[in-house]
Amino acid sequence: MIIGLIGIILLSTTLLSGCTQKQEGLSIVLIGRDSTSGTRVYFSERVMNNENFSQNVLDKSSNGAVQQTVAQTPGAIGYVGLGYVDSTVKALKINNITASVENVLAGTYPISRDLYMFTKGEAAGAAKEFIEYIQSTEGQAIVQEQGFVPLPNSAPYNSSGKTFSGTLTVSGSTTVLPIADEAATNFKAIYPGLTVTVSGGGSGAGITAVSGGQADIGMSSRDLQPSENNLGLVRYTIAKDGIAIIVNPENTYVDGLTIAQVKAIYKGEITNWKDLSK
Amino acid sequence: MVVKLHLNPKGYFTKKSIKEKSVKTILFISAIFAVIVIFSIIFFLFRDAYPIFLKAGIWQFLAGMRWNPTGLPPLYGALPLIVGTLLVTIGAMVIAIPLSLCSAIFIAEIATPRMKAIIKPAIELLAGIPSVVYGFFGLIVLTTWLRVSFNLPTGESWLAGSILLGIMAIPTITSVAEDAISSVPREYKEGSLAVGATRWQTISKVIVPSALSGITAAIILGIGRAIGETMAVMMVCGNPTYGLIPQPITNVFAPIKTLTATLGIEMGEVASGSDHFHALFGLALILLIITLVVNVIATMILGRLKEKQHAASKKKILLPFKIQEKIKKSFYLLVGIIVVWLLFISVGLLLTISILVIIVVAYYLTRKITAKTMQRIAFGTIALAIITVIIILSIILVYIVSNGAGALSWDFITTGPSNVGRSGGIFPAIVGTLYLVAGAIAIALPLGVGAAIYLNEYTREGKLTKIIRAGADLLNGTPSIVFGLFGFAFLVLYLKMGISLIAGQLTLSFMILPTIIRTTEEALKSVPQSLREGSFALGATKWQTIKKVVLPPAAPGILTGAILGIGRAAGETAPIMFTAVVFSNYIPQSVFQPVNALPYHLFTLATSINGSKQNQAGTALVLLILVICFYLIAILLRNRYRKTMKW
Repeated sequence: MIIGLIGIILLSTTLLSGCTQKQEGLSIVLIGRDSTSGTRVYFSERVMNNENFSQNVLDKSSNGAVQQTVAQTPGAIGYVGLGYVDSTVKALKINNITASVENVLAGTYPISRDLYMFTKGEAAGAAKEFIEYIQSTEGQAIVQEQGFVPLPNSAPYNSSGKTFSGTLTVSGSTTVLPIADEAATNFKAIYPGLTVTVSGGGSGAGITAVSGGQADIGMSSRDLQPSENNLGLVRYTIAKDGIAIIVNPENTYVDGLTIAQVKAIYKGEITNWKDLSK
Repeated sequence: MVVKLHLNPKGYFTKKSIKEKSVKTILFISAIFAVIVIFSIIFFLFRDAYPIFLKAGIWQFLAGMRWNPTGLPPLYGALPLIVGTLLVTIGAMVIAIPLSLCSAIFIAEIATPRMKAIIKPAIELLAGIPSVVYGFFGLIVLTTWLRVSFNLPTGESWLAGSILLGIMAIPTITSVAEDAISSVPREYKEGSLAVGATRWQTISKVIVPSALSGITAAIILGIGRAIGETMAVMMVCGNPTYGLIPQPITNVFAPIKTLTATLGIEMGEVASGSDHFHALFGLALILLIITLVVNVIATMILGRLKEKQHAASKKKILLPFKIQEKIKKSFYLLVGIIVVWLLFISVGLLLTISILVIIVVAYYLTRKITAKTMQRIAFGTIALAIITVIIILSIILVYIVSNGAGALSWDFITTGPSNVGRSGGIFPAIVGTLYLVAGAIAIALPLGVGAAIYLNEYTREGKLTKIIRAGADLLNGTPSIVFGLFGFAFLVLYLKMGISLIAGQLTLSFMILPTIIRTTEEALKSVPQSLREGSFALGATKWQTIKKVVLPPAAPGILTGAILGIGRAAGETAPIMFTAVVFSNYIPQSVFQPVNALPYHLFTLATSINGSKQNQAGTALVLLILVICFYLIAILLRNRYRKTMKW
């Protein structure tokens, strides 16, 4: 009883003291990805120059989780693939360039990366054909439809005289999943005898699956890491992805940032949005 | 010659005794299976954690202040994660202990039989809500509520994790504590009432003190559950990237990263065989050791309690009682000092003094109050607590049901997802979940029942049974994410099963094995000895007796255990996340293919797929209904069974 009472008093006083901490402006809430994510690896290289993040960055396990948290939290900033930008968040201009597929294609938007598929050894049979389909004009249309950036110079897909049957298993990155999922639906329509199963699980899971033989194709949003170099995997680039810096729509302090500002924010050198407004 | 004549019938017996012996051997093997599993878990975790201890050094690993495995250079400091786990657990206990103890006292001593018949199963049902559903609720409702009402930058915090874990620990603590309180001999209570004590005096001075060790064990089990919880914590605690000890340490609004959340987030994408991979196994090993220690303490306390009940001699009580008093006093003193110190840090000197004055005044005031008024106050508090628990339960249920009902339709249940789960149904996930639990129960049920029969029918209490029971208890306390990592290291990688249905089924079966052993043992124990003796007297062998006489009346009890196991397996995400599931829309054709499952489908939709609100809520509701149905069947079956089985 007494312990409980003391506990309740302790809790309520700390709650009260938390309540009274009112701040001017709007504190920045840093949202990022987990350390194994392909998106974070890229962001860390491109924006942070591999310097350490602020220790206040909150890890999320997926693009969607980042987007959802930013949509729910007025002071938040996050980085996600272009495909995850919608009306619930505001994508910032970077170095005065709007985050859009066109600008990534034109090469003016500064933060973009490649998405990959891996096969064990050179791709052959249905796996080769599926990757070629995604790299073709038809496949790249899906890429664009799903909010990613198509590869330059794609050619139409040629299916004449080819038949495939059996099962093709594709597994891995949740970022690449929507592309492969849509592509699989169309691919099955071209080759009715073929079953294509597409599943998520993460880049690491996809690489594990393809090197262990459970999948024919592994999807990944990051390149192979040193410990994975000896697995005998062959890399295919299937699309580009712009990384958008997103904030909550209620954030009226900024519409655009420079890469240096984004870095300063993620390093914890700027902690309040009011310090950034013009 | 004469001897040989007599041997003829013995030939018949020999054949029989071979059968008896082989049955006994099979049962023995299933009994030590739990021990083998727990040792393999420790072995495989250690095997994959060892390289990082070599590379980073054990001390740096345990006491390092920064968790940055992908940094340059990589840093593997687990201390902030360990502290995070402990802080979240402590916070959860501050919330859970008062509420659960009040609920336990209410159910055992105050409630009328009719109220008891409703409230007890309701609280047990709370245990059936899958952790990912709690996380889903916490992510969308709780964190937003905290952020708005306390004017915080973000609601994802230590407090959010503690509230959620506290709610999740309530059913565990309540049911074990209630058992302890109910098993206090009637005479104690009657004696106390007879000398003129009020009901509250009886409860607070006689019943609760006699049940104290049981209550302690209940709390420790709750702590074990909270430490090992993954999904909910991962979804609401914020997870600062390098791990972060709150500044100051009493700042409950600070985001926090726990051991389990780190595993849950980073395991999916890590390159297997890398240093980071080994470091994650190092974390799992730390987690396992913490929970094992907690559970060993609980087991020891419960064991001592049993011994005390068996040999309740009057002489023995005197000396321990004095020591108990001393321990109690020094414990209170310690807690007092810690609390005052924490207060001093968090609110400053002036407030601390005024709070202490208020406490002292309140303490002396309570002494002035008459016993009757005290009872009224106490019962009022208890009623308030139980109402709080029921309100919490209702808020969660109403939220899930009202949001999910809109998505629910025949098509939703019978078709596959389209547009990456944003539209379409969840049929493959339902089938996947059913496949997973069917396989898990098919493996765990024979093993668990075999182990229980061996423990209860074939051996006397001794070293061997102690070891087997300890094995089962430890397995019971092992966090579900540790099962996941073990399954990944042993089944997926070492046995090369790959991420597959069979790996998930096996992992889940290890997890539910202890539940089945325990419930089966209880059911076997409730079959009176006289039935066995009657059967033996008629010349039946041991196995015949077990098969024909003991098992049939115990069957409903065993079934209850099996259904509880199914319910637990159906709702768990962490064990299957790295062993069996992928986000997919197909139904596996063989056990070596991966599957989709409801909890994982919900987790992926809630955290990865933008614009799938409707289907998230629908999936949460279907999962909730499925799991609650299993629990409801188990509870009803058990109640019926308890009523009808009167010997």
